[in-house]
Amino acid sequence: MNMHAQPQRTLAETALIDAFGERLSLLPGDGAVMVKRDDAIEAIKHGLPTRRVESWHYTDLRRLLTKVPAFEAGAVVKALAPVLEGSAVMPVLNGVSNAKLPEIEGVTVQRLSEKLTDGSVAPGLDPYGDDDAIGALNTAFVADGYFVDIADGAVLEKPVELQNLQAGGQSHVRLLARVGAGAKAIVVERQAGEASEDGEALVSSVSQLVVGDGAEVTWLIVQEQPDTATHLAQFKAHIGKDAKLTLFVMNAGGRLVRQEVVVRTTGEGADFKLRGINLLAGETHTDTTMVLDHAVPHTTSTEVIRNVVTGKARGVFQGRINVHQYAQKTNAKMACNTLLLSDDGEFSTKPELEIFADDVVCGHGATVTEIDHNHLFYLMARGIDEKSARGLLVKAFVAEVIEELDDEALVEALEERLDGWFSTHG
Amino acid sequence: MPAVQETIDRVRKIDVDQYKYGFQTEIEMDKAPKGLSEDIIRLISEKKGEPDWMLEWRLGAYRRWLTLEEPTWARVHYPKIDFQDIHYYAAPKSTPGPKSLSEVDPELLKVYEKLGIPLKEQEILAGVQKPAAADEDEIGDNVYKSGRVAVDAVFDSVSVVTTFKEELAKAGVIFCSISEAIREHPELVQKYLGSVVPTSDNFYATLNSAVFTDGSFVFVPKGVRCPMELSTYFRINEKNTGQFERTLIIAEEGAYVSYLEGCTAPQRDENQLHAAVVELIALDDAEIKYSTVQNWYPGDAEGKGGIYNFVTKRGDCRGDRSKISWTQVETGSAITWKYPSCILRGDDSSGEFYSIAVSNGYQQVDSGTKMIHLGKNTSSRIISKGIAAGFSQNTYRGQVSAHRKATNARNFTNCDSLLIGDQCGAHTVPYMEAKNATAKFEHEATTSKISEDQKFYVMQRGIPEEEAIALIVNGFVKDVIQQLPMEFAVEAQKLIGISLEGSVG
Repeated sequence: MNMHAQPQRTLAETALIDAFGERLSLLPGDGAVMVKRDDAIEAIKHGLPTRRVESWHYTDLRRLLTKVPAFEAGAVVKALAPVLEGSAVMPVLNGVSNAKLPEIEGVTVQRLSEKLTDGSVAPGLDPYGDDDAIGALNTAFVADGYFVDIADGAVLEKPVELQNLQAGGQSHVRLLARVGAGAKAIVVERQAGEASEDGEALVSSVSQLVVGDGAEVTWLIVQEQPDTATHLAQFKAHIGKDAKLTLFVMNAGGRLVRQEVVVRTTGEGADFKLRGINLLAGETHTDTTMVLDHAVPHTTSTEVIRNVVTGKARGVFQGRINVHQYAQKTNAKMACNTLLLSDDGEFSTKPELEIFADDVVCGHGATVTEIDHNHLFYLMARGIDEKSARGLLVKAFVAEVIEELDDEALVEALEERLDGWFSTHG
Repeated sequence: MPAVQETIDRVRKIDVDQYKYGFQTEIEMDKAPKGLSEDIIRLISEKKGEPDWMLEWRLGAYRRWLTLEEPTWARVHYPKIDFQDIHYYAAPKSTPGPKSLSEVDPELLKVYEKLGIPLKEQEILAGVQKPAAADEDEIGDNVYKSGRVAVDAVFDSVSVVTTFKEELAKAGVIFCSISEAIREHPELVQKYLGSVVPTSDNFYATLNSAVFTDGSFVFVPKGVRCPMELSTYFRINEKNTGQFERTLIIAEEGAYVSYLEGCTAPQRDENQLHAAVVELIALDDAEIKYSTVQNWYPGDAEGKGGIYNFVTKRGDCRGDRSKISWTQVETGSAITWKYPSCILRGDDSSGEFYSIAVSNGYQQVDSGTKMIHLGKNTSSRIISKGIAAGFSQNTYRGQVSAHRKATNARNFTNCDSLLIGDQCGAHTVPYMEAKNATAKFEHEATTSKISEDQKFYVMQRGIPEEEAIALIVNGFVKDVIQQLPMEFAVEAQKLIGISLEGSVG
């Protein structure tokens, strides 16, 4: 994790290490899983990453993670109505999955606690690098979640919604999904919670997805944590031959948020789309970090991230596209646009290209700016007051990304959430 | 370049190992023993006849250096440097301050002639000996038009000669070696040295502060437009020496100066260290244009030998409406680690960075810039063109930041990479940090190879493949070449052509 020896452990580091000792006997897992947990806590003992660790340059976790709450939740939470009407909902409440599993044709669902107990998920528990603090934290403490297996050729009529809800305390959840060859599915990953009384929550959530050859998956992450929560999340995916993955990430909450996206194309013809909107208000620190590996020839990707920064919010976007030596004919494009609306807010971005193949077309663009005065003037000249005009422009700026999704129900549901955010923060 | 294709030996065509300036010169040298200690620093300081404050300054930096660790964040790989295995001082024996060129060791002059830096010829052309009185008033305008260049030649650790000094002095411009400046103008040096790159800045800058042996000093007083291009030519000749030069350029209110540096070194199997520091200071309404054509020995075709070029360059736009412009053409060095930066402190100040980095063979380049916007209405522009061929790795690493009070900061960044062959790598790592809502930052980057269509179009007109590529590459880097002083634009174009030879196929 952190290569630099730390002089002294922070309170948070100590709390995590102590908690591990106390929780160990309660955590599910066979021998293999326990070995992974031990390795993971060793990594944390070396210290949480600081800004000297390149991938954490703008999110100094060691400094920012000041408090680690006790494990127990402050209150009971209930499953939420799904984002997309008619979805099959699978909630994880305060870190515990529901014993009653839904029955969906072509889909097998298992509780992750069972998969941990029998050790079948042990190989996937390794962090992906020595700077993977979220992976290590989650591996050490993960207790539950779901494993969703979508059979080859299955075309899901209804979306699946995985909810990870908390009301204070700590929860460490893993959501695994395998989408079989030629299958089609829409999956919503909902990350939310209620502000607990003492106002502290620590959530780590790791999603792992394997998209089979020729499959098509749309995966939506909707993060609306209360502004007291620390939310450390990771989304990892492998995309097979001629498969398509569209990942939509919406961050609209949380105090300290890091959403990592780690994607690898593993078969020729694979296509990855990332669309993200970060709506930042209050004193949030929200970091979206993507590492995309084009590992085989003839794969494509596009990433568009739109950010709105208000209040004293701090936003970060890091996006790295690695094109491996044999990944000829890669076509990758990334854009990150930010509207910085307040003088107390800040936004840092680091779009990276690492290219080892020559026959590729790669590009990235990044902008940070305020609202265009010409646009504002145009609207105000038509009798719209300044506040409404600004609101319209900001909304249009992010809605553009949503409208690109070619599913009407999806667009409507997301615009509704967008309106919800603007009505409280606009 | 294609135009000189015929003159280049056909046999060497497929070989990247054809560094033109790889010769070595036998000159009697005065060297300090290998290694670094307080005694060596005292020795350097004594050899240079420096005042006590300078020695203290060096020792302070050395003590600081002992506490620092070598940076490892750049995308370059090399075996650990043994800092005790380097001569920190090497000077041609005959150097106690030549008064004129005739006193300079003829061997030395031959070196510069071979390098195409005709010190002597220029002095004769300039007619320094007997300037006609009538002409004197016109000198300001005329010399500029005639395209003459004042040169400071640095050989290993010392400056051997500076041309056109008297003429520059008439305009009030001080152009001399930094050692001379420490002796002759201590008040200026003391005021500005280390004010942009402090002694504690980074590992290599701190090392440089402790052991720097020479470099150039330029002072352009208030309201003066420097009447000619200034230039320094660096040459590493001696074995196992490190070159640590320090350049300090000050442009007072309303002054203008254009400065160019060039560098070469002999071909050797072992690696040599070059850790320079350049500080630029621009006061109100001043403008400094700094151009570099860097052609240190890049190592042979197997990646053996070559210069480690670890350089700290920074300009401080201290005054309002000041401007600093960096232009660099990087074709040499085994490893380049270099980020010429601008601190835009004054209101309405602006910074520019134009770069071409060509890497071939096993070269590793990690270069870019930093634009730090502090003042109001500051603007910066970055144009970077990276060309990677052979087995080289070429990284652009740049930072643009706007601080809280930097209202209306404006940046435009464009970095393009061109890959020639599938064994090389091109990487782009830009950092953008905005803390002010009125900041407007734009960044765009692309990576691609030369398209078959482009190549076909040119070749169809009867131009052979290698020349076609050179032509397309020159089109690719045109934006940057245009920023170079005219005399060097041609040289730079040729250099790029030579660097890329053997990269086809």
